[in-house]
Amino acid sequence: MPEVFSLAQVPITSHAFSADRSQVAVSLNSNEAQIFTRQGSEWIPTITLAEHDKLITSIDWAPNSNRIVTCSQDRNAYVWQEQVDPETGKLVWKPTLVLLRINRAATYVKWSPKEDKFAVASGARAIAICSFDPENNWWVAKQLKKPIRSTVLSVDWHPNNVLLAAGSADMKARVLSAYIKEIDDRPAPTVWGSKLPFNTICGEYSSPAGGWVHAVGFSPSGDVLAFASHDSSISIAYPNGPLINIRMPSLPLVSLVWTSEDSIVAAGHDCRPIVFNGSEAGWQEAGTLDDVTAPRSPESRSGFGGSGGVGRLKAGAFATFRDADLRGQSNAAATSADTKLLTIHQNTITNVRAYEYSGANVTKVSTSGVDGMLVIWDVDAVTSLTARLGGAHLR
Amino acid sequence: METAFRKVDIDIYDEDVLQESELYDADPRDPAEVLEDAKQKQVAVRSLLARNDIPGALTVILDNAPYGPTAEEAKVITLQTLLTILNTTKSTEITGVIKSLSLDTQDTLMKYLYKGMAMPGWGDISGSVLLGWHEKLTEVAGVGCIVRTMTDRRAV
Repeated sequence: MPEVFSLAQVPITSHAFSADRSQVAVSLNSNEAQIFTRQGSEWIPTITLAEHDKLITSIDWAPNSNRIVTCSQDRNAYVWQEQVDPETGKLVWKPTLVLLRINRAATYVKWSPKEDKFAVASGARAIAICSFDPENNWWVAKQLKKPIRSTVLSVDWHPNNVLLAAGSADMKARVLSAYIKEIDDRPAPTVWGSKLPFNTICGEYSSPAGGWVHAVGFSPSGDVLAFASHDSSISIAYPNGPLINIRMPSLPLVSLVWTSEDSIVAAGHDCRPIVFNGSEAGWQEAGTLDDVTAPRSPESRSGFGGSGGVGRLKAGAFATFRDADLRGQSNAAATSADTKLLTIHQNTITNVRAYEYSGANVTKVSTSGVDGMLVIWDVDAVTSLTARLGGAHLR
Repeated sequence: METAFRKVDIDIYDEDVLQESELYDADPRDPAEVLEDAKQKQVAVRSLLARNDIPGALTVILDNAPYGPTAEEAKVITLQTLLTILNTTKSTEITGVIKSLSLDTQDTLMKYLYKGMAMPGWGDISGSVLLGWHEKLTEVAGVGCIVRTMTDRRAV
């Protein structure tokens, strides 16, 4: 059974757990990041990170160095570190400014695997690769610009700490080199290339029907790239092999995470995590983690069909209008004002992250979304979606 | 508030502006070739319809459908031909026909349904026929098919 927490009544723009999973930093659709601490089965708001002027778009928490990085529409990023306050002797989170030098909103941030760099995606058609400058005690950025033609929506690091994948609103997913001479050792050759000076383009992919690329992710080995785009499809790119595209009958995915070398969990506007399995020979949708036919509390299941369909089409609001259209019914008694979706998340899932590992594989993932909920899912609890086409019926 | 400035196309002063043509791969075929192809398909569809092979006719007309700004005439011919097919299909057969189409063909069909609905009163367009097909197509291909129609810049 998934663990469900309702953190807020407002959208969760981004969430990131601490290494021991006892704390989670979230952006509650505002200019402040909120840290919640787990107490039993509840999350209690404990610390507020206030420094940004505008909406915080993304948060990442480095597990080993225990540093939080936040980025915002105010075009800034801050690195937060726990330090002893000299006056009170207590541990407090202190921000360090990052010189991003971008003239549009920062959209996404991610620590590199070694945690000595991070990448900030932005609307300025650029990705800022940031590293620490001890002389001035701040973070400086070097920008990846070419050949990005529009807002970058997501980034992901290759395990070698050098290559970076970027998904962009110009409908392309790219693999670029973010090699910083002062920090990085010369990387060993990978399937993406052997000579990798800064801003080398190692791959450029797009889905047949186009669409903004919302999410990108390297497989655990770093040899395969997956990306989800707004044409309701997910693509898996093998640099020296095929580009596999899976079209879905449901709404677009906006976030994804690899759980093993042959498995991906992705979620988005369809409000539930979907699992994909495969290899270079082919990929397919394996099912969903959100079993809408499983027994739940009766009030969430009243009304329409247990057929396990596309959540949104069976939703109460839809049925209200359908009844009004087909039967001329508009009385509240018949429709019982049921606007609850059959899925656990009640609105778009904006973030999927790895929560628990077993060796190299991910065993649990966490999701957060526009409904203010945080859900932790067991990745093995896959339910087939074969009933989904039946569920898409409009009447 | 002064809003007149919004009428100025500032993009023409931006050398680095993102062009529509950069968002998709242009049709590699020559426009004249595309037009000739569309005319041939029109003939092929007629003979297929005479044999009552609706799935065959739809596949012929929707495969490699013309797209892009240079193929307007071919697009018109294709739309006309497609409307003939849609209008002559019995409503009870529609679901079976759609299920026999490939995913690509289903996506292209959805594009044409929306194109048709955007041109009320043009040619043989009948709103109720298009809506009937739209309903059945959505049942088979899901809302994802509609999303792809909206995102795909290769407009038919």
